[in-house]
Amino acid sequence: MDINFSKEDIAFRDEVRDWLANDYPKHVKEKTDSGITISKQDLVDFHKALSKKGWMGYNWPTEYGGTGWSASKLYIFNKELGLAGCPPILPFGVGMVGPVIYTFGNDEQKETFLPDILNFNTWWCQGYSEPGSGSDLASLKTKAVKRNDLDEEYYVVNGAKTWTTLAQNADWIFCLVRTDSSGIKQEGISFLLIDMKSPGIEVKPIITIDGDHEVNTVFFSDVKVPAKNLIGEEGKGWTYAKFLLAHERFGIAAVGSSMRELDRLKKIVNDIDNDDLRKKVGELEVSLSALEITELRLLSELENGGHPGAESSILKIKGTEMQQKISELFVEASGEYALMYPGPHGYGSNDKPAGPDYAANGLSAFLNLRKTSIYGGSNEIQKNILSKFVLGV
Amino acid sequence: MLREQIQKFCESEYDFYKREDIVKSSEDFDSNVWKLFAEQGWLSMAFSEDSGGLGFGAIELSILFEEFGKSLVIEPYLATVVLSGSLLDKSSYPHKNELIEQICSGDMHISFAYAEASNSYDYLSVNTSLDSKNVLNGTKTLVLNGGNANKIISTCTDGNELKIVIFDTNTNGVSINSFSTVDGQSCAEISFENVQLDDKNIIASGEEAIELVNKTINLATLCICAEAVGCMESCYTKTLEYTKGREQFGQPISSFQVLQHRMVDMFIESELAKSLLIKAMLEVNNNSEDMTKHVSALKSYIGKAGKISAQDAVQMHGGMGVSEEMMIGHYLKKMISIDALFGNSDFHLKNISN
Repeated sequence: MDINFSKEDIAFRDEVRDWLANDYPKHVKEKTDSGITISKQDLVDFHKALSKKGWMGYNWPTEYGGTGWSASKLYIFNKELGLAGCPPILPFGVGMVGPVIYTFGNDEQKETFLPDILNFNTWWCQGYSEPGSGSDLASLKTKAVKRNDLDEEYYVVNGAKTWTTLAQNADWIFCLVRTDSSGIKQEGISFLLIDMKSPGIEVKPIITIDGDHEVNTVFFSDVKVPAKNLIGEEGKGWTYAKFLLAHERFGIAAVGSSMRELDRLKKIVNDIDNDDLRKKVGELEVSLSALEITELRLLSELENGGHPGAESSILKIKGTEMQQKISELFVEASGEYALMYPGPHGYGSNDKPAGPDYAANGLSAFLNLRKTSIYGGSNEIQKNILSKFVLGV
Repeated sequence: MLREQIQKFCESEYDFYKREDIVKSSEDFDSNVWKLFAEQGWLSMAFSEDSGGLGFGAIELSILFEEFGKSLVIEPYLATVVLSGSLLDKSSYPHKNELIEQICSGDMHISFAYAEASNSYDYLSVNTSLDSKNVLNGTKTLVLNGGNANKIISTCTDGNELKIVIFDTNTNGVSINSFSTVDGQSCAEISFENVQLDDKNIIASGEEAIELVNKTINLATLCICAEAVGCMESCYTKTLEYTKGREQFGQPISSFQVLQHRMVDMFIESELAKSLLIKAMLEVNNNSEDMTKHVSALKSYIGKAGKISAQDAVQMHGGMGVSEEMMIGHYLKKMISIDALFGNSDFHLKNISN
């Protein structure tokens, strides 16, 4: 096992740092550095800057315009972006539907969708969870019925998807839909790409406890979807979905951004000279170090041709717990000022209270990050995966 | 009987939708509800009979707040009745009865300005100054319900000893900036710039002032702990109810042992917190020598256990737990605000061992 990086990797790390110093859009950096909420346009600018550098396809093979990076480069890339405080790369296009399209899609689909993903011309969102189907994803009910009118083949989609992140900005949604209800539930699922401008789609915001509008419920009523938007074969959607979930693991440990946050927290704790918090920060540092080295070990296994699968659930569980705990300590460090909460976008410029600058952001992060142990397969589901596939019980 | 009365009110007049309407309205609380509080005698129950109250004490207040906690009541009872009213009640201030009378009738809101930006829970170290000509200068922060108060009670120092003063919020030189709190209430930052007072504005000085601050904060701490205990019980009962109704993998998720054990933990913690509450409220009611230690024990315990309980409740509600339109996530916000007020868990833990 080798958890140290090669010379080539170190050179690559420096290249990433160089890009972050010079080409990471300054207006985005200024906002993320001072904890100001970034706009939709800022996110677009950030992704377009990555596209320009040729790094948008960070996880794609070169034949589809990706970087073809090794697992260790991917790791370095993710960590450095996190350390620099970049917003997370939106996973829905490049991280999720992209790999499904180039792996299971036909040539026409590849030509239609992949370049726009790499250039961030289309904003994708994910249609998986439903109001009744969360952890038990395969029980989904959104129905797609195939029709044939004259020369036109299409699906009529009815149902609802929920917890859809940033659907309000999305051009396209990839959906798991039920095309067959007769057999076992996993077998009647298909993978469909749907234009968000289609008539019959309604996006309804869900406001979360931090007061923000990030997620939505997307309603489909008699939405007509051309049959050519079906990925692969009808009824094979579950296979593609599982493939996609494996890809979702990239960066889930969020080591880089946690390091950055912990570092910020440490400075604050030293400033306010609080021994109780110092001890708690110390404990988190140890855990974060353990998490980082665990991720590197899994990476090294991957580099050497191994197939760590279920073990990556460790990264999901511990990574999300780490994010939550750090944010909790920001709240504790705010002391009495944790009482005040102006909402997710902070105070206006004129009426800030006397408390510490980090109080409002800390609380906003604390409330927002509750979702991380719930989404992407809740941490309880991750433990089921570990007990079943690793412990074998 | 008091408990049943409050429960009945919360069920019929103050469900979660009503509460959300108040939070979303331009007012920080509902003046009709406040009138109802007055009619029920809840605004006067905590004051001594000499001051025109019903002569109840810490026990009844704890019951009231426990029930308020279950329903996440956001009316400014803590600010006006507990912090300001009981401070007046315990004081030797000659004009207190007319003020308490107006609190009891629901016609007056008074806020207690005890906190300053730099004092980190040490409410006896005060920078706001009152000079020899009774001119007040300084800034107070986190003044609960300060934006709605008719009068302010403020701590200050003449350079020699602690003083407590009271004056109208519309006095020249008083400026108030109101903010929302994480649990749907409001608090204000208030600055005093050459506010001219006179001797009749002074409630107490020296030893009496110190004792009033300590006792008032101690009683208020007990009250919010009782509120937290109510929250913890609701977190557990609501999670149990939700998991029984939520089906995944063809069965209610309450049938999964891992969730059963977590809910049992919530239940146990809720019971233990309740035990500490009972002990603390009896000690405060008896005005015992050790009462602040018992309140600190309670506060340190609920600061940790209450937050964990609310986090678990959110987790077991899944996505619904983080939705603003569901009640459960609001318990977590309440627990955050309770831990932040009057010294957090770590702070009170030190109080016990000191």
